[in-house]
Amino acid sequence: MANIREIQGRMKSIQDTMKITNAMYMISSSKMKRAKKVLSDTEPYFYGMQSAISRILRHVPDIEHPYFESEHPGPSHEKRIGTIVVTADKGLAGAYNHNILKLAEEQAKLPGSHTFYVLGELGRQNFRKKKPENVEVDLTFRYTVQRPTMHRARLISERLLHLFQEGNLDEVHIIYTVMVNAMTAEPQVLQLLPLKKASFGPAIAIPYGVHQEEIMLNPSADAVLSAIIPNYVTGVIYGCLVESYASEQNARMTAMESSTRSAKEMLRDLSVEFNRARQAAITQEITEVISGAKAQKSKS
Amino acid sequence: MSSFGLRVLSSDRVFFEGRVNMLVLPAPDGEAGILAHHADMVIAVQNGEMRFQTEDGEWHYAVVGTGLAEVINNRALVLVDTAERPEEIDEKRAQEALERAQEELRQKQSIEEYYVTQATLARALSRLKEKNRHGNINN
Repeated sequence: MANIREIQGRMKSIQDTMKITNAMYMISSSKMKRAKKVLSDTEPYFYGMQSAISRILRHVPDIEHPYFESEHPGPSHEKRIGTIVVTADKGLAGAYNHNILKLAEEQAKLPGSHTFYVLGELGRQNFRKKKPENVEVDLTFRYTVQRPTMHRARLISERLLHLFQEGNLDEVHIIYTVMVNAMTAEPQVLQLLPLKKASFGPAIAIPYGVHQEEIMLNPSADAVLSAIIPNYVTGVIYGCLVESYASEQNARMTAMESSTRSAKEMLRDLSVEFNRARQAAITQEITEVISGAKAQKSKS
Repeated sequence: MSSFGLRVLSSDRVFFEGRVNMLVLPAPDGEAGILAHHADMVIAVQNGEMRFQTEDGEWHYAVVGTGLAEVINNRALVLVDTAERPEEIDEKRAQEALERAQEELRQKQSIEEYYVTQATLARALSRLKEKNRHGNINN
Protein backbone atom coordinates (compact mmCIF):
# COMPACT_ATOMS: atom_id res chain seq x y z
CA MET A 1 0.00 0.00 0.00
CA ALA A 2 1.23 3.44 -0.91
CA ASN A 3 2.86 5.69 1.58
CA ILE A 4 0.53 8.09 3.43
CA ARG A 5 2.56 11.14 2.53
CA GLU A 6 2.65 10.12 -1.13
CA ILE A 7 -1.13 9.88 -1.24
CA GLN A 8 -1.45 13.23 0.45
CA GLY A 9 0.83 14.81 -2.13
CA ARG A 10 -1.20 13.41 -4.98
CA MET A 11 -4.45 14.59 -3.43
CA LYS A 12 -3.03 18.06 -3.04
CA SER A 13 -1.96 18.25 -6.68
CA ILE A 14 -5.31 16.95 -7.89
CA GLN A 15 -7.08 19.53 -5.76
CA ASP A 16 -4.99 22.29 -7.29
CA THR A 17 -5.72 21.10 -10.83
CA MET A 18 -9.39 20.85 -9.99
CA LYS A 19 -9.39 24.46 -8.85
CA ILE A 20 -8.04 25.47 -12.25
CA THR A 21 -10.44 23.35 -14.29
CA ASN A 22 -13.33 24.55 -12.19
CA ALA A 23 -12.33 28.18 -12.72
CA MET A 24 -11.99 27.59 -16.46
CA TYR A 25 -15.40 25.98 -16.48
CA MET A 26 -16.88 29.04 -14.84
CA ILE A 27 -15.11 31.45 -17.17
CA SER A 28 -16.21 29.65 -20.31
CA SER A 29 -19.75 29.31 -19.07
CA SER A 30 -20.03 33.06 -18.57
CA LYS A 31 -18.36 33.74 -21.93
CA MET A 32 -20.70 31.29 -23.54
CA LYS A 33 -23.76 32.99 -22.06
CA ARG A 34 -22.59 36.23 -23.60
CA ALA A 35 -21.83 34.59 -26.94
CA LYS A 36 -25.25 33.01 -27.03
CA LYS A 37 -26.88 36.36 -26.44
CA VAL A 38 -24.88 37.91 -29.26
CA LEU A 39 -25.87 34.99 -31.46
CA SER A 40 -29.57 35.45 -30.78
CA ASP A 41 -29.23 39.21 -31.37
CA THR A 42 -27.70 38.67 -34.81
CA GLU A 43 -30.20 36.11 -35.99
CA PRO A 44 -33.01 38.45 -37.17
CA TYR A 45 -30.59 40.43 -39.32
CA PHE A 46 -29.03 37.31 -40.70
CA TYR A 47 -32.28 35.67 -41.71
CA GLY A 48 -33.75 38.95 -42.93
CA MET A 49 -30.77 39.40 -45.23
CA GLN A 50 -31.08 35.89 -46.58
CA SER A 51 -34.77 36.25 -47.35
CA ALA A 52 -34.20 39.69 -48.91
CA ILE A 53 -31.62 38.32 -51.33
CA SER A 54 -33.79 35.35 -52.20
CA ARG A 55 -36.69 37.73 -52.84
CA ILE A 56 -34.62 39.86 -55.18
CA LEU A 57 -33.48 36.75 -57.00
CA ARG A 58 -37.02 35.49 -57.30
CA HIS A 59 -38.16 38.70 -58.93
CA VAL A 60 -35.12 39.22 -61.09
CA PRO A 61 -34.18 35.61 -61.81
CA ASP A 62 -31.94 36.07 -64.85
CA ILE A 63 -29.57 38.42 -63.11
CA GLU A 64 -25.95 38.43 -64.18
CA HIS A 65 -23.65 39.54 -61.45
CA PRO A 66 -19.98 38.79 -60.75
CA TYR A 67 -20.86 37.66 -57.23
CA PHE A 68 -23.18 34.96 -58.52
CA GLU A 69 -22.10 31.65 -59.88
CA SER A 70 -21.80 31.78 -63.63
CA GLU A 71 -23.65 29.27 -65.75
CA HIS A 72 -20.46 27.89 -67.26
CA PRO A 73 -17.88 27.29 -64.57
CA GLY A 74 -14.34 26.44 -65.63
CA PRO A 75 -12.72 23.03 -65.08
CA SER A 76 -12.67 22.23 -61.39
CA HIS A 77 -8.98 21.29 -61.12
CA GLU A 78 -7.97 24.79 -62.18
CA LYS A 79 -10.02 26.49 -59.54
CA ARG A 80 -8.29 28.57 -56.94
CA ILE A 81 -10.13 28.05 -53.71
CA GLY A 82 -9.67 30.16 -50.59
CA THR A 83 -10.86 28.73 -47.33
CA ILE A 84 -11.30 30.52 -44.03
CA VAL A 85 -10.67 28.08 -41.20
CA VAL A 86 -12.05 29.14 -37.84
CA THR A 87 -10.20 27.49 -34.96
CA ALA A 88 -9.71 28.50 -31.32
CA ASP A 89 -6.85 30.50 -29.87
CA LYS A 90 -6.22 27.89 -27.23
CA GLY A 91 -6.63 24.17 -26.76
CA LEU A 92 -8.33 22.41 -23.84
CA ALA A 93 -11.63 22.45 -25.64
CA GLY A 94 -12.26 18.76 -26.22
CA ALA A 95 -12.52 17.76 -29.86
CA TYR A 96 -13.44 21.27 -31.07
CA ASN A 97 -10.14 22.09 -32.79
CA HIS A 98 -9.49 18.56 -33.91
CA ASN A 99 -12.81 18.33 -35.75
CA ILE A 100 -12.18 21.60 -37.60
CA LEU A 101 -8.66 20.64 -38.61
CA LYS A 102 -9.80 17.26 -39.83
CA LEU A 103 -12.44 18.85 -42.00
CA ALA A 104 -9.90 21.36 -43.33
CA GLU A 105 -7.60 18.52 -44.34
CA GLU A 106 -10.45 16.83 -46.16
CA GLN A 107 -11.21 20.10 -47.93
CA ALA A 108 -7.59 20.30 -49.07
CA LYS A 109 -8.01 17.02 -50.93
CA LEU A 110 -10.70 18.41 -53.24
CA PRO A 111 -9.57 19.27 -56.78
CA GLY A 112 -8.15 22.74 -57.30
CA SER A 113 -5.40 24.73 -55.65
CA HIS A 114 -6.13 25.78 -52.11
CA THR A 115 -5.21 28.69 -49.91
CA PHE A 116 -6.07 28.58 -46.23
CA TYR A 117 -6.84 31.69 -44.25
CA VAL A 118 -6.63 30.49 -40.69
CA LEU A 119 -8.27 32.25 -37.79
CA GLY A 120 -7.19 31.38 -34.29
CA GLU A 121 -3.70 30.82 -32.94
CA LEU A 122 -4.03 27.06 -32.54
CA GLY A 123 -4.94 26.40 -36.15
CA ARG A 124 -2.21 28.73 -37.35
CA GLN A 125 0.44 26.88 -35.34
CA ASN A 126 -0.88 23.57 -36.58
CA PHE A 127 -0.73 24.52 -40.25
CA ARG A 128 2.68 26.08 -39.88
CA LYS A 129 4.08 22.84 -38.53
CA LYS A 130 2.46 20.40 -40.92
CA LYS A 131 1.12 21.90 -44.06
CA PRO A 132 -1.09 19.60 -46.15
CA GLU A 133 0.03 19.05 -49.71
CA ASN A 134 -0.85 21.61 -52.41
CA VAL A 135 -2.13 24.05 -49.80
CA GLU A 136 -0.85 27.56 -49.32
CA VAL A 137 -1.36 29.00 -45.87
CA ASP A 138 -1.56 32.77 -45.68
CA LEU A 139 0.33 33.54 -42.50
CA THR A 140 -0.27 37.26 -42.80
CA PHE A 141 -3.93 36.63 -42.13
CA ARG A 142 -3.91 37.30 -38.41
CA TYR A 143 -7.14 37.89 -36.61
CA THR A 144 -8.19 36.66 -33.21
CA VAL A 145 -11.40 34.75 -32.65
CA GLN A 146 -12.02 36.09 -29.16
CA ARG A 147 -15.12 38.24 -28.80
CA PRO A 148 -16.08 38.49 -32.46
CA THR A 149 -17.05 41.98 -33.56
CA MET A 150 -18.70 43.35 -36.67
CA HIS A 151 -15.59 45.40 -37.29
CA ARG A 152 -13.34 42.35 -37.49
CA ALA A 153 -15.83 40.54 -39.70
CA ARG A 154 -15.82 43.55 -42.00
CA LEU A 155 -12.03 43.56 -42.24
CA ILE A 156 -11.98 39.85 -43.07
CA SER A 157 -14.71 40.07 -45.66
CA GLU A 158 -13.19 43.14 -47.31
CA ARG A 159 -9.93 41.31 -47.69
CA LEU A 160 -11.50 38.24 -49.23
CA LEU A 161 -13.91 40.19 -51.42
CA HIS A 162 -10.95 42.10 -52.76
CA LEU A 163 -9.09 38.88 -53.58
CA PHE A 164 -12.22 37.55 -55.24
CA GLN A 165 -12.82 40.67 -57.30
CA GLU A 166 -9.21 40.83 -58.45
CA GLY A 167 -9.56 37.28 -59.71
CA ASN A 168 -7.00 35.84 -57.30
CA LEU A 169 -9.60 33.46 -55.95
CA ASP A 170 -12.38 31.68 -57.80
CA GLU A 171 -14.19 30.43 -54.74
CA VAL A 172 -14.28 31.35 -51.08
CA HIS A 173 -15.34 28.87 -48.43
CA ILE A 174 -15.50 29.04 -44.67
CA ILE A 175 -15.06 26.14 -42.26
CA TYR A 176 -16.70 26.80 -38.92
CA THR A 177 -18.56 25.03 -36.16
CA VAL A 178 -22.34 25.01 -35.92
CA MET A 179 -24.00 24.54 -32.59
CA VAL A 180 -26.69 21.97 -33.24
CA ASN A 181 -27.81 22.01 -29.64
CA ALA A 182 -26.23 22.47 -26.22
CA MET A 183 -24.56 19.06 -26.40
CA THR A 184 -23.47 18.66 -30.01
CA ALA A 185 -21.47 20.93 -32.29
CA GLU A 186 -20.64 20.07 -35.87
CA PRO A 187 -17.95 21.43 -38.14
CA GLN A 188 -19.28 22.63 -41.47
CA VAL A 189 -18.11 23.97 -44.81
CA LEU A 190 -20.02 26.85 -46.32
CA GLN A 191 -19.47 28.45 -49.70
CA LEU A 192 -19.34 32.23 -49.34
CA LEU A 193 -18.49 33.26 -52.88
CA PRO A 194 -19.64 33.08 -55.56
CA LEU A 195 -23.17 32.88 -54.23
CA LYS A 196 -25.15 29.93 -55.40
CA LYS A 197 -28.56 30.93 -56.59
CA ALA A 198 -29.91 27.54 -55.61
CA SER A 199 -28.84 27.98 -52.02
CA PHE A 200 -31.37 30.78 -51.50
CA GLY A 201 -34.26 28.43 -51.35
CA PRO A 202 -35.74 26.28 -54.12
CA ALA A 203 -36.88 28.04 -57.25
CA ILE A 204 -40.64 27.95 -57.03
CA ALA A 205 -42.28 27.42 -60.36
CA ILE A 206 -44.85 30.18 -60.72
CA PRO A 207 -47.89 29.01 -62.63
CA TYR A 208 -48.70 30.91 -65.77
CA GLY A 209 -51.25 33.69 -65.40
CA VAL A 210 -50.72 34.31 -61.70
CA HIS A 211 -50.07 37.94 -60.98
CA GLN A 212 -46.61 38.47 -59.64
CA GLU A 213 -45.97 41.67 -57.77
CA GLU A 214 -43.31 43.73 -59.40
CA ILE A 215 -40.49 45.14 -57.36
CA MET A 216 -38.47 48.10 -58.46
CA LEU A 217 -34.81 48.03 -57.65
CA ASN A 218 -33.52 51.50 -56.94
CA PRO A 219 -31.26 52.84 -58.46
CA SER A 220 -30.70 49.53 -60.34
CA ALA A 221 -30.56 45.83 -59.64
CA ASP A 222 -26.84 45.97 -60.08
CA ALA A 223 -26.43 48.83 -57.60
CA VAL A 224 -28.63 47.15 -55.02
CA LEU A 225 -26.81 43.84 -55.28
CA SER A 226 -23.41 45.52 -55.20
CA ALA A 227 -24.46 47.35 -52.05
CA ILE A 228 -25.87 44.39 -50.20
CA ILE A 229 -23.76 41.41 -51.20
CA PRO A 230 -20.55 42.59 -49.48
CA ASN A 231 -22.76 43.29 -46.50
CA TYR A 232 -24.30 39.89 -46.72
CA VAL A 233 -20.88 38.25 -46.84
CA THR A 234 -19.77 40.29 -43.83
CA GLY A 235 -22.95 39.25 -42.05
CA VAL A 236 -22.35 35.59 -42.83
CA ILE A 237 -18.74 35.78 -41.65
CA TYR A 238 -19.84 37.53 -38.48
CA GLY A 239 -22.51 34.90 -37.90
CA CYS A 240 -19.96 32.12 -38.44
CA LEU A 241 -17.49 33.74 -36.05
CA VAL A 242 -20.11 34.16 -33.36
CA GLU A 243 -21.38 30.63 -33.79
CA SER A 244 -17.85 29.19 -33.68
CA TYR A 245 -17.04 31.24 -30.60
CA ALA A 246 -20.14 29.99 -28.83
CA SER A 247 -19.32 26.39 -29.80
CA GLU A 248 -15.75 26.81 -28.64
CA GLN A 249 -16.84 28.03 -25.24
CA ASN A 250 -19.38 25.27 -25.08
CA ALA A 251 -16.78 22.64 -25.94
CA ARG A 252 -14.38 24.04 -23.35
CA MET A 253 -17.12 24.15 -20.78
CA THR A 254 -18.01 20.50 -21.31
CA ALA A 255 -14.35 19.45 -21.34
CA MET A 256 -13.65 21.31 -18.12
CA GLU A 257 -16.78 20.02 -16.49
CA SER A 258 -15.85 16.43 -17.21
CA SER A 259 -12.28 16.93 -16.02
CA THR A 260 -13.56 18.50 -12.79
CA ARG A 261 -15.83 15.52 -12.40
CA SER A 262 -13.05 13.00 -12.92
CA ALA A 263 -10.83 14.96 -10.52
CA LYS A 264 -13.53 14.62 -7.90
CA GLU A 265 -13.74 10.91 -8.58
CA MET A 266 -10.00 10.50 -8.22
CA LEU A 267 -10.07 12.46 -4.99
CA ARG A 268 -12.74 10.18 -3.61
CA ASP A 269 -10.77 7.05 -4.50
CA LEU A 270 -7.59 8.54 -3.10
CA SER A 271 -9.23 9.55 0.15
CA VAL A 272 -10.48 5.99 0.62
CA GLU A 273 -6.97 4.74 -0.01
CA PHE A 274 -5.59 7.38 2.33
CA ASN A 275 -7.95 6.33 5.12
CA ARG A 276 -7.05 2.70 4.61
CA ALA A 277 -3.34 3.47 4.72
CA ARG A 278 -3.83 5.52 7.87
CA GLN A 279 -5.86 2.77 9.48
CA ALA A 280 -3.24 0.22 8.54
CA ALA A 281 -0.55 2.37 10.11
CA ILE A 282 -2.57 2.73 13.32
CA THR A 283 -3.27 -1.00 13.44
CA GLN A 284 0.36 -1.74 12.95
CA GLU A 285 1.37 0.63 15.73
CA ILE A 286 -1.14 -0.87 18.12
CA THR A 287 0.06 -4.34 17.25
CA GLU A 288 3.60 -3.26 17.93
CA VAL A 289 2.68 -1.68 21.28
CA ILE A 290 0.67 -4.67 22.39
CA SER A 291 3.24 -7.21 21.34
CA GLY A 292 5.89 -5.14 23.07
CA ALA A 293 3.82 -5.03 26.25
CA LYS A 294 3.20 -8.77 26.05
CA ALA A 295 6.87 -9.44 25.68
CA GLN A 296 7.56 -7.34 28.80
CA LYS A 297 4.84 -9.19 30.73
CA SER A 298 6.14 -12.62 29.90
CA LYS A 299 9.61 -11.54 30.98
CA SER A 300 8.55 -10.49 34.43
CA MET B 1 -52.04 60.48 -41.99
CA SER B 2 -51.90 56.81 -42.82
CA SER B 3 -49.01 54.84 -41.49
CA PHE B 4 -47.07 51.73 -42.39
CA GLY B 5 -45.10 49.08 -40.57
CA LEU B 6 -41.36 49.53 -40.20
CA ARG B 7 -38.73 47.11 -38.98
CA VAL B 8 -35.13 48.23 -38.71
CA LEU B 9 -32.67 45.38 -38.19
CA SER B 10 -29.01 45.98 -37.55
CA SER B 11 -26.45 43.22 -37.26
CA ASP B 12 -26.46 43.27 -33.46
CA ARG B 13 -30.08 43.93 -32.57
CA VAL B 14 -33.59 44.82 -33.64
CA PHE B 15 -33.25 48.59 -33.75
CA PHE B 16 -36.87 49.60 -34.25
CA GLU B 17 -40.19 47.91 -34.76
CA GLY B 18 -43.46 49.80 -35.07
CA ARG B 19 -45.69 51.95 -37.23
CA VAL B 20 -44.43 55.13 -38.80
CA ASN B 21 -45.88 57.90 -40.96
CA MET B 22 -42.79 58.61 -42.97
CA LEU B 23 -39.33 57.22 -43.46
CA VAL B 24 -36.34 58.93 -45.04
CA LEU B 25 -33.30 56.87 -46.01
CA PRO B 26 -29.85 57.78 -47.31
CA ALA B 27 -29.51 56.22 -50.78
CA PRO B 28 -26.55 56.33 -53.19
CA ASP B 29 -28.35 58.89 -55.38
CA GLY B 30 -29.67 61.11 -52.58
CA GLU B 31 -32.28 60.73 -49.90
CA ALA B 32 -35.25 58.47 -50.48
CA GLY B 33 -38.50 59.27 -48.69
CA ILE B 34 -41.13 56.62 -48.17
CA LEU B 35 -44.77 57.20 -47.27
CA ALA B 36 -47.55 54.70 -46.73
CA HIS B 37 -48.66 52.66 -49.76
CA HIS B 38 -45.38 53.12 -51.52
CA ALA B 39 -44.82 50.98 -54.59
CA ASP B 40 -42.96 47.73 -53.93
CA MET B 41 -39.30 48.52 -54.06
CA VAL B 42 -35.84 47.57 -52.93
CA ILE B 43 -33.49 50.44 -52.20
CA ALA B 44 -29.76 50.34 -51.53
CA VAL B 45 -28.93 52.18 -48.31
CA GLN B 46 -25.72 54.12 -47.74
CA ASN B 47 -23.87 55.45 -44.75
CA GLY B 48 -25.77 58.40 -43.40
CA GLU B 49 -28.75 59.66 -41.48
CA MET B 50 -32.03 57.80 -41.43
CA ARG B 51 -35.10 59.46 -39.96
CA PHE B 52 -38.67 58.41 -39.41
CA GLN B 53 -41.79 59.94 -37.93
CA THR B 54 -43.75 57.74 -35.58
CA GLU B 55 -47.52 57.91 -35.32
CA ASP B 56 -47.37 60.42 -32.46
CA GLY B 57 -45.74 62.87 -34.86
CA GLU B 58 -42.30 62.70 -33.31
CA TRP B 59 -39.23 62.43 -35.50
CA HIS B 60 -36.57 59.88 -34.66
CA TYR B 61 -33.06 60.03 -36.01
CA ALA B 62 -30.43 57.34 -36.47
CA VAL B 63 -27.08 56.88 -38.12
CA VAL B 64 -27.03 53.80 -40.31
CA GLY B 65 -24.34 51.88 -42.15
CA THR B 66 -24.70 50.32 -45.56
CA GLY B 67 -27.43 47.85 -46.35
CA LEU B 68 -30.77 47.71 -48.07
CA ALA B 69 -34.40 48.56 -47.50
CA GLU B 70 -37.34 46.76 -48.99
CA VAL B 71 -40.87 48.04 -49.15
CA ILE B 72 -43.34 45.28 -49.86
CA ASN B 73 -47.10 45.29 -49.27
CA ASN B 74 -46.95 48.50 -47.25
CA ARG B 75 -44.33 47.10 -44.90
CA ALA B 76 -40.80 48.40 -44.84
CA LEU B 77 -37.81 46.38 -43.75
CA VAL B 78 -34.46 48.11 -43.32
CA LEU B 79 -31.41 45.83 -43.08
CA VAL B 80 -28.22 47.67 -42.20
CA ASP B 81 -24.95 46.59 -40.63
CA THR B 82 -25.10 49.26 -37.93
CA ALA B 83 -27.80 51.58 -36.58
CA GLU B 84 -27.30 53.99 -33.70
CA ARG B 85 -29.36 56.67 -32.02
CA PRO B 86 -27.58 60.02 -31.75
CA GLU B 87 -27.32 59.73 -27.96
CA GLU B 88 -25.59 56.35 -28.31
CA ILE B 89 -22.79 57.67 -30.45
CA ASP B 90 -19.45 57.90 -28.73
CA GLU B 91 -18.23 61.27 -29.94
CA LYS B 92 -14.67 60.75 -28.80
CA ARG B 93 -14.38 57.44 -30.56
CA ALA B 94 -15.87 58.81 -33.77
CA GLN B 95 -13.50 61.77 -33.61
CA GLU B 96 -10.54 59.47 -33.15
CA ALA B 97 -11.66 57.27 -36.04
CA LEU B 98 -12.02 60.36 -38.20
CA GLU B 99 -8.55 61.57 -37.38
CA ARG B 100 -7.06 58.16 -37.94
CA ALA B 101 -8.76 57.88 -41.32
CA GLN B 102 -7.59 61.34 -42.35
CA GLU B 103 -4.08 60.46 -41.29
CA GLU B 104 -4.19 57.26 -43.31
CA LEU B 105 -5.52 59.03 -46.37
CA ARG B 106 -2.45 61.25 -46.38
CA GLN B 107 -0.19 58.24 -46.71
CA LYS B 108 0.37 56.13 -49.78
CA GLN B 109 -2.08 53.27 -49.83
CA SER B 110 -3.16 50.47 -52.09
CA ILE B 111 -6.54 50.84 -53.77
CA GLU B 112 -8.00 48.34 -51.35
CA GLU B 113 -6.75 50.24 -48.31
CA TYR B 114 -8.00 53.44 -49.83
CA TYR B 115 -11.55 52.12 -50.09
CA VAL B 116 -11.47 50.83 -46.54
CA THR B 117 -10.25 54.17 -45.24
CA GLN B 118 -12.83 56.03 -47.27
CA ALA B 119 -15.60 53.91 -45.78
CA THR B 120 -14.24 54.48 -42.28
CA LEU B 121 -14.09 58.19 -42.93
CA ALA B 122 -17.69 58.25 -44.16
CA ARG B 123 -18.88 56.34 -41.11
CA ALA B 124 -17.03 58.61 -38.71
CA LEU B 125 -18.27 61.75 -40.44
CA SER B 126 -21.91 60.71 -40.45
CA ARG B 127 -21.68 59.77 -36.76
CA LEU B 128 -20.15 63.10 -35.80
CA LYS B 129 -22.61 65.07 -37.88
CA GLU B 130 -25.52 63.31 -36.29
CA LYS B 131 -24.13 63.73 -32.80
CA ASN B 132 -23.67 67.45 -33.28
CA ARG B 133 -27.15 67.93 -34.65
CA HIS B 134 -29.26 65.87 -32.28
CA GLY B 135 -27.20 64.13 -29.66
CA ASN B 136 -26.20 67.12 -27.56
CA ILE B 137 -29.73 67.94 -26.44
CA ASN B 138 -29.52 65.44 -23.62
CA ASN B 139 -26.03 66.27 -22.50
